[in-house]
Amino acid sequence: MAFDLVSFAADFTSFYALYLAISLSLNLEFGYAGIPNFGKVLFIAGGAAFAGSITGRVAAWALGVSKGDYITNNFAIMGQVNQLLLGDPLLTIALVVLGLAIAGLIGGIFGYVMSYPAIHLREDYLGLLLLGMAQFFQIVLNTYTPLVGATQSILTPNPFYYFATLNVNDLVDVVYAVAMGAFALLVWVYVERTVRSPLGRVLRAVRDNDDASSALGKDTVKMRRNALIVASAIGGMAGAMFTFQVAFVGASTWTRFAWTFWPFLIVIIGGVANNKGVALGAFFFVLILKGLEQVQPYIAPYVFNTNVNFIQDLLFAGLLLAILYLRPDGILRERSTQTLPRQELDKIMGTEEEASAKKS
Amino acid sequence: MVPAYLISAEVYAALFALMAMGLTLTYMTTKVPNFAYGDMVLLGVYSSYATVKIYHSDPYVGSAVGFVVAGLVSMAMYLIVLRPLARRGASIVSLMIATFGVDIGFAGIFGIYTDYLTNAYVFNDAKEFYTLGPDFSIAGYPGIDFAAPVAVAAVVLIIYLLLTRTKFGVAMRASIENPPLAKVLGINVDMVYTSSWFLAGGLAGFAGAFLTLDLPLLSVNTGNDLIVGIFAASVLGGLTSIFGSAVGGLIIGGSELLMTIWLGSGFGYGGTIFIAVILFLSGVYSVRRKTRQSKVVGAILAALGLWVIADIAAGLPVDFLAPELVNGFGSAIINPFQVGIPLVIMAVALLIVPQGVFSVNFRRLLGLEK
Repeated sequence: MAFDLVSFAADFTSFYALYLAISLSLNLEFGYAGIPNFGKVLFIAGGAAFAGSITGRVAAWALGVSKGDYITNNFAIMGQVNQLLLGDPLLTIALVVLGLAIAGLIGGIFGYVMSYPAIHLREDYLGLLLLGMAQFFQIVLNTYTPLVGATQSILTPNPFYYFATLNVNDLVDVVYAVAMGAFALLVWVYVERTVRSPLGRVLRAVRDNDDASSALGKDTVKMRRNALIVASAIGGMAGAMFTFQVAFVGASTWTRFAWTFWPFLIVIIGGVANNKGVALGAFFFVLILKGLEQVQPYIAPYVFNTNVNFIQDLLFAGLLLAILYLRPDGILRERSTQTLPRQELDKIMGTEEEASAKKS
Repeated sequence: MVPAYLISAEVYAALFALMAMGLTLTYMTTKVPNFAYGDMVLLGVYSSYATVKIYHSDPYVGSAVGFVVAGLVSMAMYLIVLRPLARRGASIVSLMIATFGVDIGFAGIFGIYTDYLTNAYVFNDAKEFYTLGPDFSIAGYPGIDFAAPVAVAAVVLIIYLLLTRTKFGVAMRASIENPPLAKVLGINVDMVYTSSWFLAGGLAGFAGAFLTLDLPLLSVNTGNDLIVGIFAASVLGGLTSIFGSAVGGLIIGGSELLMTIWLGSGFGYGGTIFIAVILFLSGVYSVRRKTRQSKVVGAILAALGLWVIADIAAGLPVDFLAPELVNGFGSAIINPFQVGIPLVIMAVALLIVPQGVFSVNFRRLLGLEK
């Protein structure tokens, strides 16, 4: 099999963008607001499951496809829906927007509900509770049929189907990359603006010294709750984006390894409370992940023909521990807040040269 | 004849008590919830598997092997991972992330090990296997029904004697209560912590090996499935009391099975309605409270309750109550109740009695004391 550079680059980019968005949201709640969200997968999976399940039903209803039960006849219904969607780009876009809105809403609601105990608990207890909740939700997904068909998985509307039918080499991969990239860019701009705003400084103050900031009149409970809600909503939307890319949603996708541990790994590698660091960390992470996928056929025979995922697990565990030990702050450490770009400040305050000229 | 489910609940409860005691020991020494604890249990499970399948020995021999293997691994985890990090002044959250990392590492190790078993010994059930045997039997009951509670009683007794009657136990209590003062008095705190971690892992491995005689189906995910319940048991015991966690383990293990069975199959739809009504009522209770958040959370809970009732009224199959769902690949799926019950107990315990059941003043509760 020849190595397809375009396909690899597109795959790399879309995966990078997906994990960048998730890690940035984790950085917002964990890095800046100090909530160790060990149940990240709960919010991502929640958003993805509801978005996938509801948009599929809405699409079937809007297009008048009726072939009996949505779950049992899912493949037939979604096959017809996707064919019909080809001639209706407006509805396709509306479905994507609807899906993202639902995912954001569900993520936000889950975040709101989970913040109820989160405010009252110490970080270690909170970690336990979030981890447990995530594990529980996974089992609900696995057994509650109407949502995502339990173990069966369901197809969702495929907004990228049109590009796949054009029969141009790698086109659909490139479109995924562009869509994911645009999403990640939006998240980046939002998170970066938030943490640079006065709100971001309050979040850090609450994280570093709860009592002092409440003495200064900041509502610490509200701050942490809102951080959790916003970060969870972003996580849910990222889950929905992933669902639209793969065009199906099932229970087995949502492991806490891939959707809680990996984002944590990225944030720890890159630098807690430093978005540039997170971007860098996500790059190294995806490089290792995708690199391993490429070399898999060459190393598998030497390790009992095992699945490369296990080697990857070991490698990531080692990497995490090494980073924690050797460079606990990550590649880029947290920097003090930059309020405005230098040029803007210069415009307002006058440059240093001008200032010194004035002095003398 | 005692009903079968009571007996399996008894065994399950006993094994949970063992596991919760170990987890509590690690928490008491390093003050970190050990997310990799499920893997210590799994080490016991696979020690037993290897003993029975490769060396054709008894599962009870496997439990001894599991004790030693899991103990050594747990000790190594403390010495290699946690102690160096703690010495560098890592925060609790960093240490939690580190144990999370170790958990992932173990997922890799078990994956490779089971692939090795499949390839080298041609065991096709290495990743997922049924109850191991042969177990001895007394009066028609399998031996594990007696071995598990006896083991718990013995372990509780041994730990009690260790903590109160030996110099080592006193040193251990001192190191946990006040490490700097213990150091001043010449106690080797590091050594005490290291042996606590050995003991903790050992208990997990021991219980894990016993699980291979009790659970109907075991897999590389067994540790993951159990970890929530183990944490719940430990939290219920207050996270800082070994004997409290033993009681917590008995409560969680017992209620997990009994409530699953009673709610799931005993009452049929009645069980679901019961849950829905409880959800609805707690929602209403929450709505009536003052803060806005409890109102919203309450409304969501009440809506959830109504949703479930509407589901039943519409005649939808309430699948998540089927006692043993089996998917197309032949692997049993844990009933969501089975993880949900300890989780709910844990959440309630955390919010109402964060210090554990033993912190409740029962005399006061009963009105014997003002």
